[in-house]
Amino acid sequence: MITQTPKWPVYVLGSVALVWIIPLVGIIAMSIRPEGEITSGWWTIEPFTFTLDAWREVWVNYPIGRAFLNSLAVASFATVLPVLFAPAAAYAFHYLKFPFRRILLLILVNAFVVPNQVVIIPLFKLWRETGLIDTYWSVVIPFVGLSFAWAVLLVKNFLSNFPRSLIDAAQVDGCGHLRTYFFIVLPNTITAMAAVGILQFMWTWNSLLLPMLFLRENATLPVMLSTISGAYEPNWDQRAVATIITSILPLVIFLFFQKYFSADGKNNSGSKG
Amino acid sequence: MASIQITEATKSYGNTAVLHGIDLNIQDGEFIVLVGPSGCGKSTLLRMIAGLEEVTSGSISINERIINDLPPRDRDIAMVFQSYALYPHMSVEENISYAMTLRKSPKEKIASAVNGVSSILGLNGLLERRPKALSGGQRQRVAMGRAIVRDPQAFLFDEPLSNLDARLREQMRSEIRKLHRKLNATSIYVTHDQIEAMTMADRIVAMHDGYIQQVGTPLEIYDKPANVFVASFIGSPAMNFIKGTASASGDGYHLQTDQGHQIILPESSGLKDRMDVILGVRPEHLMIVEEGPASLPATVDLIEPMGLSTLVHVRVGQDSLKIFTLDRPDIAEGTQVHVSYIKEKLHMFDARTEMRLESPV
Repeated sequence: MITQTPKWPVYVLGSVALVWIIPLVGIIAMSIRPEGEITSGWWTIEPFTFTLDAWREVWVNYPIGRAFLNSLAVASFATVLPVLFAPAAAYAFHYLKFPFRRILLLILVNAFVVPNQVVIIPLFKLWRETGLIDTYWSVVIPFVGLSFAWAVLLVKNFLSNFPRSLIDAAQVDGCGHLRTYFFIVLPNTITAMAAVGILQFMWTWNSLLLPMLFLRENATLPVMLSTISGAYEPNWDQRAVATIITSILPLVIFLFFQKYFSADGKNNSGSKG
Repeated sequence: MASIQITEATKSYGNTAVLHGIDLNIQDGEFIVLVGPSGCGKSTLLRMIAGLEEVTSGSISINERIINDLPPRDRDIAMVFQSYALYPHMSVEENISYAMTLRKSPKEKIASAVNGVSSILGLNGLLERRPKALSGGQRQRVAMGRAIVRDPQAFLFDEPLSNLDARLREQMRSEIRKLHRKLNATSIYVTHDQIEAMTMADRIVAMHDGYIQQVGTPLEIYDKPANVFVASFIGSPAMNFIKGTASASGDGYHLQTDQGHQIILPESSGLKDRMDVILGVRPEHLMIVEEGPASLPATVDLIEPMGLSTLVHVRVGQDSLKIFTLDRPDIAEGTQVHVSYIKEKLHMFDARTEMRLESPV
């Protein structure tokens, strides 16, 4: 007998989901009300005045457009490079035999455990001497370098479930390693590449520490966001606007690529189970 | 087409040797089946021929040219994998034509080759589909098509039917055999299914623990297994074995079984008095009889009716024996019966070496 699904889980899960949505509602509410109305809490209903002053002020007083483009450039470069090269490194570590393979992998994994803070001062000196301060490369290079460890491990882990027979079939069909990688492995590694891309984009987009230290004129959105709150003026309404602007692109990207997160990573090459 | 020579080939992973001194000559156009249990090294040997595994020592030649160091793409061989290994992001047509595309064959030639192959294998309506939209049998055909279209020197099959259901497997078995007859291409087929080996092979290579145990035609191997392993592996239902000691009696020998019974042995130059012997007898060479001088008392353990035939499991002392009969014996489980054997069809093995003792059969 088929029993009807009970209703209570829907209510319980709905309430939990609401908890996650409340801050978003709060930020939107703060961005469209005068600051005076929200100092005692955005949830107060009386009085409620709708205004886009905060949006206007942020747009006029801060170089939002420029900061947005800077963030986009930094995050894009810092994402595209690991997405392209991490699978190549993962393929090499997983399928090729070459001298010092294990040691090289260990060195790479070592970068995994190095926190950002450790490299800041040496990097600052290096960038100052090489004149890279306030260029995109001053943040893109450490972003890519620090991401490589987990990106390679993530794709290598994905490849451990990749059907070996596909590689064998490609070799028998006439592919060398380069062709096997580009025409057989890459098209079937999109799930792993998308995962690397989404995570890396989010992290680099939201990153504050390195851009704040290395970028001046080319400040990114989170850096600009941090300048909105003054020492004496909290500017809650403007900070809310900046938060919304900063969140929009990662949200859109996540919505667009989320199917790759849930997609079955298994390659359907014909085998059962 | 090609002949393949394997000379003293070995394969080791570190200190673990998985193939020991393999010698095998495969004639042009021959259909060879490598058969053996899991882990016997048959797939490794096939992959070495394909170039997917390095040869540790010894040599593999195609048409007398040593190919040890040639990459797979330069060996001009085609392989059908157990998992089919169809490229998931390509259509059936692209899968079939990929090797030709890589070799930069003219488009018209590729199109006509793909058409030819898809007509032979009945894939005409499926060329635009992706592998995930195909059934198991269709995928298997595409994998075959991908191999055939290249017109290679040799075909290698790595358990290509093991993912199919029994009915489809039987159908594909005969189709592969017919295809081989049509193309007459040298083929090496790996399986652990001894029925596939028996029905498809020109010659069977039985392998165990990295050694070739016996090479011969299916009936040679069935009728004269070289040792206890081959005798037990080939044949379904499997051969029965009875241990005992040979005793000289009159002109010949009889076997004094460990269970205290006497079985008259056929002539063999290898037999000696008091020699420990393993006697092998195929289930179809045993029968249930009335009590007589050469019969053994037995208890019926289990009766397995299979429609066409019946398999009767009996116990003679502690020895468990299977009897294959086309009759439908009117006996119940637990009944006391007598079992007899065809003396000329008995197989004898030296219990120490487990090697066959020749008899004039």
